[in-house]
Amino acid sequence: MIIKDVLCPFCGCLCDDLAVEVEDNKVVDVKHACKIGASKIKGHDRIKAPMMRDDKNGEFREVSYDEAINESAKILANSKRPLLYGWASGVCEMMKKGVLLNEEVGGIIDNTASVCHGPSALGVHEKGLPTGTLGQFSNRADVVVFWGCNPVQAHPRHMSRYSVFAKGFFANKGRRSRKVVVFDVRKTDTANLADDYIQVNPGEDYMVLSALRAIVADKADVVPETVGGVPKEKLVEVAEVMKGAKFGIVYFGMGLTQSRGKYKNIDNAVSLITELNAHGKHSIIPMRGHYNVTGFGQVCAWETGFVNAVDMSRGIPYYNPGETCSNDLLMREEIDAAFVIAGDAGAHFPAQSIARMGKVPVIQVDPFHNPTTEMANIVIPTKVSGVELEGTAYRMDAVSLRMRKLVDVDFPSDEEVLDKIIAKVREIKGASS
Amino acid sequence: MQTITLVPIEQFNISIEGETISPDNFAGKSADEIGALVAYEGNFPRLLSELFDIKVDGNADAADDVKIEINGNVPRVKRIGEGMTGGRILINGDVDMRCGAKMKGGIITINGNADSWVGQEMRGGEINVQGNAAFYVGAGYRGEPCGMRGGKITVFGNANDFVGEHMCGGEIVIKGNAGIMPGLSNKGGKIVIEGNTTMPGSEMTKGTIIVKGEVEDMMPVYQREGIEAVDGVEFTKYVGDVVVDGKGELLVK
Amino acid sequence: MSEMLIKNATVYDPINGVNGDLMDIAVKDGKIVDSASGSAQVIDAGGRLVYPGGVDAHTHIAGSKVNVGRIMRPEDSRLGLKPKTKLTRPYTGYTVPNVYAMGYRYAEMGYTTAFEAAIPILKARHTHEEFEEIPIIDKGGLTLFGSNWMVMDAIRENDQERLAAYVAWGLLASRGWGVKVVNPGGGEAWGFGKNVSGLDDPVPNFEVTPRQIIRNLAEVNEKMDLPHSIHLHCNNLGKPGNYETTLASFDICKDIKSKRDRQSLHVTHVQFNAWGGNHWGDFESKSEPIADYLNQNDFLTIDMGQLVFGSATTMTADGPVQYANARLLKARWSNGDVELEDASGVTPLEYHPQSYIHGIMWAIGLELALLTKDPWQVLMTTDHPNGGPYVNYPMVMTMLMSQKRREQEMSKIAEKTFDRTCIAGIDRELDWYDIAIKTRAAHAKVLGIVEHGKGHLGVGADADIAIYDIKPDETDATVEFDKVEAAFRRSAYTIKAGEVVARDGEITAVPMGRTYWVKTKVDNGGYDRMMDDLKMKFKNYYSVNMANYMVQDEYVERPYVVETEYK
Repeated sequence: MIIKDVLCPFCGCLCDDLAVEVEDNKVVDVKHACKIGASKIKGHDRIKAPMMRDDKNGEFREVSYDEAINESAKILANSKRPLLYGWASGVCEMMKKGVLLNEEVGGIIDNTASVCHGPSALGVHEKGLPTGTLGQFSNRADVVVFWGCNPVQAHPRHMSRYSVFAKGFFANKGRRSRKVVVFDVRKTDTANLADDYIQVNPGEDYMVLSALRAIVADKADVVPETVGGVPKEKLVEVAEVMKGAKFGIVYFGMGLTQSRGKYKNIDNAVSLITELNAHGKHSIIPMRGHYNVTGFGQVCAWETGFVNAVDMSRGIPYYNPGETCSNDLLMREEIDAAFVIAGDAGAHFPAQSIARMGKVPVIQVDPFHNPTTEMANIVIPTKVSGVELEGTAYRMDAVSLRMRKLVDVDFPSDEEVLDKIIAKVREIKGASS
Repeated sequence: MQTITLVPIEQFNISIEGETISPDNFAGKSADEIGALVAYEGNFPRLLSELFDIKVDGNADAADDVKIEINGNVPRVKRIGEGMTGGRILINGDVDMRCGAKMKGGIITINGNADSWVGQEMRGGEINVQGNAAFYVGAGYRGEPCGMRGGKITVFGNANDFVGEHMCGGEIVIKGNAGIMPGLSNKGGKIVIEGNTTMPGSEMTKGTIIVKGEVEDMMPVYQREGIEAVDGVEFTKYVGDVVVDGKGELLVK
Repeated sequence: MSEMLIKNATVYDPINGVNGDLMDIAVKDGKIVDSASGSAQVIDAGGRLVYPGGVDAHTHIAGSKVNVGRIMRPEDSRLGLKPKTKLTRPYTGYTVPNVYAMGYRYAEMGYTTAFEAAIPILKARHTHEEFEEIPIIDKGGLTLFGSNWMVMDAIRENDQERLAAYVAWGLLASRGWGVKVVNPGGGEAWGFGKNVSGLDDPVPNFEVTPRQIIRNLAEVNEKMDLPHSIHLHCNNLGKPGNYETTLASFDICKDIKSKRDRQSLHVTHVQFNAWGGNHWGDFESKSEPIADYLNQNDFLTIDMGQLVFGSATTMTADGPVQYANARLLKARWSNGDVELEDASGVTPLEYHPQSYIHGIMWAIGLELALLTKDPWQVLMTTDHPNGGPYVNYPMVMTMLMSQKRREQEMSKIAEKTFDRTCIAGIDRELDWYDIAIKTRAAHAKVLGIVEHGKGHLGVGADADIAIYDIKPDETDATVEFDKVEAAFRRSAYTIKAGEVVARDGEITAVPMGRTYWVKTKVDNGGYDRMMDDLKMKFKNYYSVNMANYMVQDEYVERPYVVETEYK
């Protein structure tokens, strides 16, 4: 059987045109997907059953779901500063339950964005975000800028589906309708495909953005001869290209969000785009990583008013990155229990944070083994969203789509596990109050 | 005059939210009454008496006549002096985030280091940090158009990034070095950095920043406007940030 | 099932002509009935004011724009906080509340139904995801059609059957209740950073005019027999002198008759579209010509879009106006273009009484309501949260009821306001009956949901009831406005589908409301022509596949579907 129009559970492109062949309840072929997407759907070794251990260096023993869930609830209900981290590789339905669990346990809920595109949201608090849906860009953009991102590697179908090669209503010649410019600290594969590559000194993007803003505002006279390693005349040339665009789009990545200045780079880039709109039409959009990392921000915002890093310890949501993100707290050794779901803290956190996680009970909910498993005391396997489970995901441009189920499995969903933990936490807290 | 002495019983690991610790809250209260005030340790309510040895000398009707002395390190007690309108707080040790947030009057002296957001959204009064301060000295809450609007913060050591972000008034003096982007998006007020800093004054529309040490990475968006003397010392005067039609003054040695 | 008897109620139920009669109201199984049995739960209203549950026909409560506002404004979300309880989730936000506060606060004021005024079809799933989380109130939403390529192509090619087929498909795809038209054509022009300048300025690349878009959608709307009329946000909103465009937009639909007992055109938040002058320097109110038009024509209704001083988050599918606002005010700006369909923008701002521009805007909303004779023609709204958040409705209600209250507010407003407005000379004061019309009955009538049990207390209606702690015969609203406002802010009882959901302004139960949408059968050649065109557009221009586009049933768990047929 071939299932069409399948959504891909890999990157923020959330491609929805895959065709998956299923035989005897097994995926046998994946068409139209990039290699990584196809391998995500085909899957790999699963965690077969819930497991627990007291000593993190000891062996896991298989346990029942009930035992693992009850023990998890006990840990969370009795913690003063529990961290609920991850919330990326899953569907929105489970994220809603995560926000509820966080209310029940008075913890901190934090999404993987806090170690990648979190600064983008902080930039949005400063300046907003002039953006649009990806089809708006594929139909119209005649100037395409990639800044600190490398879609050739990280978002393999982005250029063909949305940004560079895609033919659109106005940009009807695809690649030939567009001028492509790359700003980066090194000449990436994406830069190799561009019409123009501008090499920026590491950590100096912010000043380059300010210089571009000055040039766009006809105040080039104050700009020195070189900014961030880029000659002024080059900046003037690029500013003219951007200013001359009928429709310009800037795609940015972690090269901008995680280099010196972090969210201030986004803040400045948004201002540049806002000012360019006095000339033509311009938009900007973060190249989000996980297929539904955007979804968590949406769910968290409508449920709590805040996009991420929500501290519920006082019964009302409090948000302040720098104070309430996973690593802000782990580095200070404040966290006394960690619940990791649909994200891999073990692979992406700094050593100091990992060290803290090594000292506190860690619960992992995930279909697969990953570095977090190595630190876990309790492991609860669940369904793979978008393969074994339907549900909602938000593409990088915040367009939501419904992921399909391709095969049936006996594992519970994340949502079912969360429901049971919530019920148990209520029971424990109810009994103690 | 009422003097309240707090001595931390233990070194807290999980931060305590100590917004109840202020002259306004303590004025006229006995040691028992102060001890019965609640401070949260994570999600867990604690009594101040469980956290501190509390001594009270004398009595006062109003915050102005209250002095709080915290003898010991409290690097995990946040929000001390939040919203205070008068009186004094003396912290003989390090203090956690948001000390003196929304403060309107009085004096906080920290004989140690202050964590981030010291003097957040401050409107009046004085904060002296004898050691170093972390990020966002005198800055605002995320999304707020104004950080500090009045009062004075002096940091005798170094400060980290984003000193005085969104500052609309008041004065900040950093005796040591400051991290990147002090005075970002300033709309008023004065920042003096006696040591070195990086990329000061971006998007400043009004206000003054004086850097007496070295500037690494001067923003490429300032108009040079000759020499100006401050207290007999000559500085190069820049005006900007031009990208926001700013009239801010950046004085650099 | 459950029964309830509300005794000694002073009832204002304009749809049934009940004007302050002292009576009992019986409820059974969520509906109003003739009488209740002895086992009914009895609430003694003690002569207090009883209205049908409030209905808000134009508000922005859910979907991508609202969430953009939340994400952009953490400083707003730290206002209005209320901790979680065993029953309720935490409340956050003032202008952009979280989903829970959104439902609770309406219910606390005695409102039980609210319609989201702008659903982009491509992002409709998001709107419904939020609807499914907003507690207590019933919801519906209006779907955006005014800059849609399918719409403009069908109009250019004079194919109204195809247009109707697409509108029906779009309502189905978005699970929408009605046809919203925002700055017709302007959203498409904004795709390249431009706007349309007036009703006869062709949309670039599509060669149709805003006039044609309005006219064709209005005609098709009636042929489709939709419960609601088209719902128009006029061109040139936010520009001094725009009242002329507004009057000319009215005229486009003047000869369109509806078979239904309602208007054939609803023009929304007219406060923002009744502006005189040529620039901000000679900016002035033009409420009088607008009200005159309303007084002479009964085919149209409007809502106020009243301004409330303080913080607001402006959000609209009118992309270009938001960019202009943000540049003028040096404010944060989020834009959200939707491929092939529409635009949107979100900008926070602060309304200051000492700004005469804001003062004039404040005056215009009230003038429109007070100069228009027929209370059924002007709905009370703030275009939440554009003019200000809906939690301020009780204050606006008292301003309509009391000249003294208006004078109190005027004393804070920039003097210059009063040279450019006529508010100071208006002595009209609305009564309890008028307010019932302007906050529930007329909203239900305009939306076309009276026959579905909304906005009234007749037998068979939904038992959505608000009891306020006011004795109308003992209360002079023209003087005791503070008391009246306090009572309207916190209902004594809010009853939703026969269940007490709020008591003295505190939530007591959290049922989930329904979602209203319309399914129209279009059974003619237009459907096939439309499908051919649609498939071509999905293949070539949309960034999602057609099979993944439409809102699935899973996102509307408690639907209330009204079926109609194209003729």
